[in-house]
Amino acid sequence: MAAQRFFELRKPVGSRQRIVSALGIWAVFFGIWVAATSAGMVNALLVPAPQDVFATTWDLFASRGFASDVLISISRVIGAFAMACAVAVPLGVMMGVFPSIEAIFAPFVSAWRYLPAPSFIPILLMWFGTGEAPKLALLFIGVIFFLITLVMDHTKNVRQELVETALTLGASRPTVVLKVVFPAVLPDITVAMRQMLAMAWTYLVIAEIVASTTGIGAMMMRARRFLKTDEILSGIIVIGVLGLLFDMLFAMLHRWAFPYLRKN
Amino acid sequence: MSEQSALQIRNLSKVFDLGRGRTVQAVQDISFEVEQNSICVLLGPSGCGKSTVLRMMAGLETPTEGDIVIGGHSVDGPGRDRGMVFQAYTSFDWMSVRKNVEFGMKINGVPAPERAERAQRFIDLVGLGKFADAYPSQLSGGMRQRVAIARTLANGPEVLLMDEPFGALDAETRWLMQELMVNVAEETNTTMVIVTHDLEEAIFLADKIVFLSSHPGRLKEEIVPGFKQGKRISDKEKVVKLDGYSDLEAHLMHLMREEGRGVE
Repeated sequence: MAAQRFFELRKPVGSRQRIVSALGIWAVFFGIWVAATSAGMVNALLVPAPQDVFATTWDLFASRGFASDVLISISRVIGAFAMACAVAVPLGVMMGVFPSIEAIFAPFVSAWRYLPAPSFIPILLMWFGTGEAPKLALLFIGVIFFLITLVMDHTKNVRQELVETALTLGASRPTVVLKVVFPAVLPDITVAMRQMLAMAWTYLVIAEIVASTTGIGAMMMRARRFLKTDEILSGIIVIGVLGLLFDMLFAMLHRWAFPYLRKN
Repeated sequence: MSEQSALQIRNLSKVFDLGRGRTVQAVQDISFEVEQNSICVLLGPSGCGKSTVLRMMAGLETPTEGDIVIGGHSVDGPGRDRGMVFQAYTSFDWMSVRKNVEFGMKINGVPAPERAERAQRFIDLVGLGKFADAYPSQLSGGMRQRVAIARTLANGPEVLLMDEPFGALDAETRWLMQELMVNVAEETNTTMVIVTHDLEEAIFLADKIVFLSSHPGRLKEEIVPGFKQGKRISDKEKVVKLDGYSDLEAHLMHLMREEGRGVE
């Protein structure tokens, strides 16, 4: 087999090259990091060595109860995200199907979408104090208006012919919505949820950094007070890994729930 | 009005409102009848309103004037007595072929055993026996149209409406589908109204051709392809070779030309 040129226009690369490339870029990243810290090019207090960060991460989980912070953060994300979905999915579908419903809610929803959720933090703290409620509320506000809009747009994209086919088969309007439009748009809704879950993580960390004594973000703010940069970086890594994990779970859910979308 | 007619189209007109006080007349004062168990082809150049007429028959558009009578009552909205097959693929991708074909019967409350039996019958009729449990996304374009045809017929409509059903298929598949439709009409005694701009398709399928002129759509001529001597021949090659085929084709071409001229 002739060797493929490296700069080949739009030809897919083999799986071996993909793996080598992916590992390579991370090796370079950690290589520079290790080199910079061991050569003393950076202040070790501000930029701890990666091996120290990993050791700290292990220590945080093994002996300092970090797992409970992580679980609190996860439960906040899942709780608030589930509430947002429970409202946004039915409402978005209704708005996408019935222009009359869209006419009512669209002007309202799109206005809220332009208000940055973190701007509500002061008032949420005054309303709900420092318990779980303000964090859940921030995540809810941060996610729901985007999710409604995405679900509505995807629902509008369900082809008119599918709706008309159902009508000419004798379907009532509720049947069209529940048995045709909703299953047709469900894969796209799942993708939209996957995108919005990433956003929920962002708001979670903001909420925990600003006003919390528990959770990953709070741990990082505590660490800042004691100049523990290794712990801050541990927090960032854990958030990244969790985000990736949830994303993969959603991707798996998508593949499992919609086998008909697979190419043969 | 004949006892034998399945559909009566009476003084049908359709004016579309384009907004800002502008309107366009798509259909003007069309009257004709579709005989029971016949194949009626609506033929005409683009812009002659043939699809609009069909959509009014289906109840998907409301006539501005006149009405359409089926089984003694005026059409008022879509209903299972008038099944429709579209040019675009309308298979429900999340259901197997079998579930697709059962869909209409299911929402209309046909009991499961009868549903299964009828579905199997129509799946076999359109030649999809081997693919009953496949997903539509695994099928070719022609096979997906077969699914749509089986689904519509299994629902037991009095009239089968088809809007350029084979327009998206390649020539070879189109012939096969046309031949299939002749067989289906013979087997099931279904009244069909088929919209097309393909002269060959019209001559091959029609017991009667209703030719519409364009801008606005008016009835130009009703043509019975007498050379077929009232028989349906399911072999396209034989039909093309019959005496009178080319005369009719030339006549229709002439009509098309006449209508096309000066319009663009």
